[in-house]
Amino acid sequence: MDAALPVSSDAALTLSVRGLSVSFRDGGAQVPALEDVSFDLHAGEVLALVGESGSGKSLTALAIMGLLPGGARVDRGTVLLESCDLVSLGPREMTCIRGDRMSMIFQEPMTSLNPVLTIGRQLTEGLEIHLGIAVATASARAVELLRLVGIPSPERRMREYPHQLSGGMRQRVMIAMAIACDPKLIIADEPTTALDVSIQAQIIAVLAEIRARLGTAILLITHDLGVVAEMADRVAVLYSGRVVEVAEAEALFDAPRHPYTQGLLSAMPRLDWLAAEGPRTRLAEIAGVVPSLRDRPDGCSFWPRCPLATEQCRREVPPLISTSDGRVAACWVRQVAA
Amino acid sequence: MGRFLLRRVLTALATLVVSSFAVCMLIHLIPGDPVMMMMAQNSSPTPEQIARMRHALGLDLPFWLQYFHYMGHVLRGDLGRSIFGSEPVATLLLERLPNTFALAFTGLVLAAGMGMPLGFLAAYKKGTWADSLLMMLAVCGVSIPNFWLGLLLVLLFSLVLGWLPVAGENWASMILPAVTLGLTYMAIIARMTRSSMIEVLNEDYIRTARAKGMPERIVLFRHALKPALISVVTIIAVVFGYLMGGVIVVENVFSWNGLGRLALQAINYRDYPLIQGFILLFATIIVVISLLLDVTYAWLDPRVSVE
Repeated sequence: MDAALPVSSDAALTLSVRGLSVSFRDGGAQVPALEDVSFDLHAGEVLALVGESGSGKSLTALAIMGLLPGGARVDRGTVLLESCDLVSLGPREMTCIRGDRMSMIFQEPMTSLNPVLTIGRQLTEGLEIHLGIAVATASARAVELLRLVGIPSPERRMREYPHQLSGGMRQRVMIAMAIACDPKLIIADEPTTALDVSIQAQIIAVLAEIRARLGTAILLITHDLGVVAEMADRVAVLYSGRVVEVAEAEALFDAPRHPYTQGLLSAMPRLDWLAAEGPRTRLAEIAGVVPSLRDRPDGCSFWPRCPLATEQCRREVPPLISTSDGRVAACWVRQVAA
Repeated sequence: MGRFLLRRVLTALATLVVSSFAVCMLIHLIPGDPVMMMMAQNSSPTPEQIARMRHALGLDLPFWLQYFHYMGHVLRGDLGRSIFGSEPVATLLLERLPNTFALAFTGLVLAAGMGMPLGFLAAYKKGTWADSLLMMLAVCGVSIPNFWLGLLLVLLFSLVLGWLPVAGENWASMILPAVTLGLTYMAIIARMTRSSMIEVLNEDYIRTARAKGMPERIVLFRHALKPALISVVTIIAVVFGYLMGGVIVVENVFSWNGLGRLALQAINYRDYPLIQGFILLFATIIVVISLLLDVTYAWLDPRVSVE
């Protein structure tokens, strides 16, 4: 499968994940959670990592950040951030890279900021640690950052505590913290999920502007295909801890290759249906449930729910292969069909 | 902050009114005629003596007036006179207060000063042998009754090793009772600090701090310590109540000349005015300390100040 995604010599390659496998301890056994996850992310690009809950999206993010929860560990694979392998680094070196060359925005703005520290303190501490600048300079830069993410009267906000800010404002602060040291990579884990719809659009706009202005690569983790359509350049689809398809966002929406992606897209409501058809059509759904990590079936993990499954699908895990039309998917059937 | 303080002060006052009412009515809990019970030592009290005692205790007044009568005196600093020795109760209590205060304060400082760092350490080393050892010791500390611990310490340090006095009035003789108190309540504080710290370390904002690349010492001391301390402070208010109860026992074990020993004597002699005064004073101390800790809590937690 590495053949499908060759290590690029492209200088603009920001993040390259190869064969990343993560397992966690459950009782006495190691249960595999991520298996051979591979994808690339270029400078200034937005790659969306999509999938249902439990597909391993957040785990991928935490593995890249070196913030896996207790009991989870990276078994195999490399995570190259601008050709530096993060998997091989020690905790001290990772501390230097986190918040400096890569940073992360979390799903819950309400609980992700420290309630007993001022906004200013939480912004400046990263600048002081990573850039080694004095408090006064860091404060001035922090005000600038708050202005950049669209927070009104930033000087006043610097002295306030998180509970004095709305959810949308807190997420803007999280973004300001993430971009503070001008990172090469921002991982945004469901950045809009916990917010009101009107606020979601604002946060997406802020992220889009950051990308345009600073050229930061963004790994966008979401289960919201609307957010994907709005922001992502490319999409990697995750199912049960494996990447099943990688494609340009437009191509993926137009012609999904993997049966799981097809199911996912047809389960999404579309406005044009309302205009086109008289009687309301029932939304399609994917039959069955996502297998739990412990009883993942042999072969392709999607076969029990797949309308196209063959005998080979039940026995062998399909590799992620690019077909002649340049599409990348992990499916025995589609590979042959193409 | 202002409204928070006002509410807390009013609550404290209400607590004091309720406890003073209970204290005032305590005398009616004596089985039989309180005056006769109190004068039982006097083989044959004359009717005049009985009437004088009844009047001195205010028992000749209507029920509701008794409270105002009592409170009227209390607010003027008059807690009545001890039946035995006939000294003013207030004088007796104030004489002993500094000794008890010194002992309780040292005990609390020992308990918090050692309990919080140890709980913090156990939380940080959660799941390791150091954690297990500390928590095992804490269980011992909570389970061992303080009078027994006190006796063991006396046996070891005073009788066997001869390092410290068994009893006395100087600072050296305060070491053993203070350590006895400190060890017991240290165990409670250590356990609570540990659980509070473990909870905080699982918070999303700790993950955020790590994602920002904060070194572990900053994560622990800047991001985790203060929120963890906030809940520990409220716990210390509760622990202080227990500690004041422990003081009574420990003072008697070590013959420490404080309020606790006075209280036990008063109970033995059924010196009701003295018992009333003692309870009222202890209730006041606990209410005041709780109030002070609430203020500390408000000062530590920015979320309280704007609510």
